[in-house]
Amino acid sequence: MMLRILLCCFAVWLTGGWLPAMAAGLDELEQASRQPAGPPPQRIVALSWEAAENLLELGLTPLAVADADDYRQWVVRPRLPAQVPSAGSRLEPNLELLASLKPQLIIISPTLLPMRASLQRIAPVLNIDAYQPGQDHAQAAERILLQLGRVLGRQPQAQQRLQQLEQGFASLRRQLQAHGAAAWPTVQVIRFANPSMVYVYGSNAMPVLALRRLGLRTTGQPAPSVWGVSQQRVGQLLALRQDIVLYQQPFAAAPQLFASPLWQGLPFVRQQRFAAVAPAWSYGGAASLLYLAQGMTTALLQLPIAAASRPALR
Amino acid sequence: MSAVITLLLPATGRGWRYPLALCGLLGLLSLHLWLDGGLPPAAQWAQLWQAPVDFNGLQFHYAALPRAAMALLVGAALGLSGSVLQQLTGNRLVSPMTLGLSAGAWLGVVLASICLPGVLALHPAWPALGGAMLALGLVLLLAGPQGLNGLPLVLGGMAVNLLLGALATALVLLHDQYARNLFVWGAGDLAQIDWQWTLWLLPRLSPALLLLWLAPRPLSLLRLGLAAARGRGVAVSSILLLLLAALWLSAVSVAAVGLIGFIGLVAPNLASLLGARQPRAQLAASAVLGALCLLGSDCLALAFSQWAGDSLPSGAVTALLGAPALLWLARRNLRPAQQAAAPSSVVAGQRRWGRGGWLLAVSLLVLLTLLSVCLSPMADGGQLRWVLAWPEPLLWSLRWPRSLVALSAGAGLALAGVLLQRLLRNPLASPDLLGLSAGGSLALLLASSWLGQPLLQGGPLLVLAGSLLVLGLLLWLGRRHGYAAGMMALSGIALAALLDALVQVVLAKGTADSFAVLGWLAGSSYRVSGAQALWLSLAVLVLGMTALAAQRVLALLATGDGVAQGRGLMLERVRLGLLLLVALLTAVVTAVLGPVAFLGLLAPHIAALLGARRPVAQLLLAALLGAALLLLADWLGRVLIYPRQLPLGMLASVLCGGYFLLLLCWQRLRRGGGR
Repeated sequence: MMLRILLCCFAVWLTGGWLPAMAAGLDELEQASRQPAGPPPQRIVALSWEAAENLLELGLTPLAVADADDYRQWVVRPRLPAQVPSAGSRLEPNLELLASLKPQLIIISPTLLPMRASLQRIAPVLNIDAYQPGQDHAQAAERILLQLGRVLGRQPQAQQRLQQLEQGFASLRRQLQAHGAAAWPTVQVIRFANPSMVYVYGSNAMPVLALRRLGLRTTGQPAPSVWGVSQQRVGQLLALRQDIVLYQQPFAAAPQLFASPLWQGLPFVRQQRFAAVAPAWSYGGAASLLYLAQGMTTALLQLPIAAASRPALR
Repeated sequence: MSAVITLLLPATGRGWRYPLALCGLLGLLSLHLWLDGGLPPAAQWAQLWQAPVDFNGLQFHYAALPRAAMALLVGAALGLSGSVLQQLTGNRLVSPMTLGLSAGAWLGVVLASICLPGVLALHPAWPALGGAMLALGLVLLLAGPQGLNGLPLVLGGMAVNLLLGALATALVLLHDQYARNLFVWGAGDLAQIDWQWTLWLLPRLSPALLLLWLAPRPLSLLRLGLAAARGRGVAVSSILLLLLAALWLSAVSVAAVGLIGFIGLVAPNLASLLGARQPRAQLAASAVLGALCLLGSDCLALAFSQWAGDSLPSGAVTALLGAPALLWLARRNLRPAQQAAAPSSVVAGQRRWGRGGWLLAVSLLVLLTLLSVCLSPMADGGQLRWVLAWPEPLLWSLRWPRSLVALSAGAGLALAGVLLQRLLRNPLASPDLLGLSAGGSLALLLASSWLGQPLLQGGPLLVLAGSLLVLGLLLWLGRRHGYAAGMMALSGIALAALLDALVQVVLAKGTADSFAVLGWLAGSSYRVSGAQALWLSLAVLVLGMTALAAQRVLALLATGDGVAQGRGLMLERVRLGLLLLVALLTAVVTAVLGPVAFLGLLAPHIAALLGARRPVAQLLLAALLGAALLLLADWLGRVLIYPRQLPLGMLASVLCGGYFLLLLCWQRLRRGGGR
């Protein structure tokens, strides 16, 4: 009897929980950009940080941004004007506040899809899924900026910004090539969880995609999680013995780990192929990709391997 | 490995035990080093005596060896601490984890990492010790002097565990960026990068030797009872000193490696199972077996990490193995007499509840409802302004589902609490202690992390399925014991611990989902739709009516099993039916809202304190109070840190838990200066 009830529950859950998820597979932004309805909205709320970044890159100041204070601390670039208020947290934005702001458009990420019905009552909702599994996130980021430009009536700005970003990449590429980057080994990016645990970025993560766009050799292994990282112990980093390894700051326990004999014994540390990258947001949009690339280029050019081939230029 | 020893030892002679344990230890150590450093056992011996030349050597000397040493030290410390606690209380179900000491230590560390990061870096042990002492004080207060050797101590420990855990989660949620680095640590990870922590821990474990030397005499005298022991010259101060030493051992372990549960529970029980009778033999054997158990679990964690490529914290493995062990121990150790022995109510009032009271309560609830719907802050160009007005249609459509859910969930949990406390005749029983909400949360977590389904999609039904599954398990486990109180509560504790371990694993993965998980576990009314709110209130109404209809049965149950049976009550069937009712109430609430702790514990008590002691009166008044409390928590959560919001469940847990403890303190103090 119990079993039968449970089975029924399971069946109900299957039909109730999974069917809507399948229907959401259609890309909403693409549809919206094909048939823009009426005049482009001006009063826009961004409930995800990549949406806030894209709006700012298009020259639009959002009406409110979720977790605005944390955005200013963690994403930093592009700069969010100080008068833009916080719309609550990214997981639970404040609906009453949103209602009082009377926005014309609310941009969300898939995390907030369950809240769509409520948000829809306040203003039209646009869901941007920037991190669909199995796609090239860098290409997707460019497509999203372009399509968002079309939806918001700012297509020229979007195209211009994409050109600027491409020029930025080209100049970074030239700098790296001048230092013999073509002959460099594979470059890996990591982030520390604590002194004994690291996250290694896989080929589906933004920092690695930025490296690839810089013309550098990178890992071909995608990480298992949607967020593009795999968790490893410090000792497992030995597998990266031939590579250049960059780590994303901040890392509070750096002095303890970097002083330990185990760390000093890692080949890439002994041979000085290890450098720190200034903090940048690794789950952002097209512009974040360039900011990541800038930070990593600066770090790479300070390595001895870059200095070795410097005479070719000067 | 330890299972093999369990099988072997009783068969062999007494003299063989220690050599055999030593052989087992060495074998396990070698296996551990092999799994961690990659060096086969033969090469390990050679490597041990030479300076490291390559990275494998470094790995062996600075990662594998310290990790193994850490496992041995922490395991021994926890085993010893558990053994002292068990011998002091004469209760086989006591351990640093079941008493909530680990949760207290964890809270201390979280608090220190947010408020005083400098202190935490320099003196990691003191915040942990402070937290653990706080937890112990609370547990002793909750259980009372008579409850030390029975279920009340374990239930009190669980309640403290829940409260302190909720507080720690609240702090992590509010200060996510600071606390982020604590996640892996919180899961109890033994990985090392040098000898620093091992060398830190080693001198701090020196009280262990003193314990082995000095503790046996008072412990053996204590077996005669506290009064007899004092008559023979055991000072109370020496007992306190023993307690402090046990606390210290578990606190430094938590400070060094994070939360590792169950070792302190399992090791002393294994020791007595293997025939260690005398206090000193029990202490020594618990230390050795604790070391063995942790080393063995860590071997499993390492093997799993290599097989799956994703690292599994050691604390999660001990919880996975320990939860079933707790159930098994409970079945061996809980005798029916112990299960029944509990005071009928922790708090008692002299007041009588009259008609005027009902009028007052109902009008207060109505007023509170009006306030929560009408009064709210508004952001007005950077300024906060309070608005008291009937909300416009849009705001109304956003507000009423939350208020309705808070009202009906509060009433539902309070009803479940009354039923459960009357059914189990235990004032510390509450729906969250049965592990029903833990089961629901577990189902959601498993679906999101292993099926790759986004968290919170298709949530409610999944949670309902999980809760019902737990109920099925409880009923299956309880059938042999006639659905007795102790068994049910302990199953709940085991499940809650299991959930805790899995939550830590998911958090340790460090993805953005971590905060979604934490947010859901904090119990939020944010995602509730109007339809869900209506369904919930309807379900609570129907189930509440059923509960009211069962008032005659409840009144009979209060007279005791014998009398009830004499009047023709089919005890087993009644228990089954009432349990089912409690489970359904808890499941529907958890499915919509997420877990809410303490409300189901507190509301029945306040109702009894106000004078509502007959079943119908207590059910109704508790439901009113529960609804009012949860409504208040929801409103506070919306306005306290506007525009951000505090989850309702977390706020309710902290408020109700804090109030409950205050109430108890007050009662105990009033009854003539404590004990």
